[in-house]
Amino acid sequence: MSEAHAAHDDHHGQLPGTIGHVSPWQTLVKVLVTLLILTVITVGIAQIDLGRLNVVGAIGVACIKASVVTLWFMHLRYDKRFNFFILIGSFALVAWMIGYILFDTMLYQHNVQDYKRDRQAPATP
Amino acid sequence: MSTGVAEHDTKHETLPARPPELAMHFDNMHQQFHSGKLGMWLFLGQELLFFCGLFTAYAVYRGNHQEMFHYAHYFLDTKMGAANTVVLLVSSLTAAWSVRCAMLEQRKGLLITLALTFLCAGAFMVVKYFEYAHKLHIGAVWGGGFHVQTADLPPELLAKYPEMTGEKLKDMGVGSFFAVYFCMTGLHGLHVLVGMGLYIWLFIRALKGHFNRRWYGAVDNVALYWHIVDIIWIFLFPLLYLIG
Repeated sequence: MSEAHAAHDDHHGQLPGTIGHVSPWQTLVKVLVTLLILTVITVGIAQIDLGRLNVVGAIGVACIKASVVTLWFMHLRYDKRFNFFILIGSFALVAWMIGYILFDTMLYQHNVQDYKRDRQAPATP
Repeated sequence: MSTGVAEHDTKHETLPARPPELAMHFDNMHQQFHSGKLGMWLFLGQELLFFCGLFTAYAVYRGNHQEMFHYAHYFLDTKMGAANTVVLLVSSLTAAWSVRCAMLEQRKGLLITLALTFLCAGAFMVVKYFEYAHKLHIGAVWGGGFHVQTADLPPELLAKYPEMTGEKLKDMGVGSFFAVYFCMTGLHGLHVLVGMGLYIWLFIRALKGHFNRRWYGAVDNVALYWHIVDIIWIFLFPLLYLIG
């Protein structure tokens, strides 16, 4: 819907010889409104007790917001693909590190609990 | 000899005019712009990994001590966190708009958007100051230093758990939550302060009449940095303030 608008704006707004893509101000405002709505949604979800789903919902909405910021505010939609892969690669490493370390710490958690119990045992025979 | 001079002269005339903004080690303005941007993206990718260590610490603590995070989240003021989120989102708009103004060579618009971004960043730090001051005042600090009196506990926490005391929270290790909290928000706040410095620098350069449609890399790259600071907060806000 905004494509025609964008083309219109670019045609009149962009100076000849400009490097890169000029974002129409209407697009920027729409992006901000989207982000504000998503903020309201994430605050709203947090007020309802959904158990573990609260964490999933909060991170999910945050990921959508981050994507909106990178694609439009950071121009990644119009940028060189290589820059996109730098960001995706970085995010993949972040997910890998958090996921792997969480998996690891959970795997050994029962050993920690056993150790704590054993240490308390002699004190209360 | 005279022919040699003539040749030299014609050679000189056919060379394309070199823009004064073009650094000597680049061929043209496009190459200069995209090299700078590539460097910025590599830095931003590294910034995410830098914060990743703290997010991992958060995930491990939270995974192993859910109750600690549940009690601790009552200490954080959702209203202040939400206000800061809105302030940062608005500053992201003005930052993106400043790039637009630089590209369109709208000097007045550029100065206004740069100033607004700086002011929003300042507002963020003011809210942060009030949050930190309150926590330090009641003793909600990191590690073993945590020493909140029962009377100073958040009313919502006492309403739900009337038997809760400051001692119990200390023994539970709520100080570890605040270690994570202060490290994450502190490092983020430090980035906001750096961003404020960068926006002063951009403002002065814009006043001097720098930047045009082919030479706005500094405005663009600082805006990219600013958006990453915004994205980090987009994750920090729900993780610290919202989910309990």
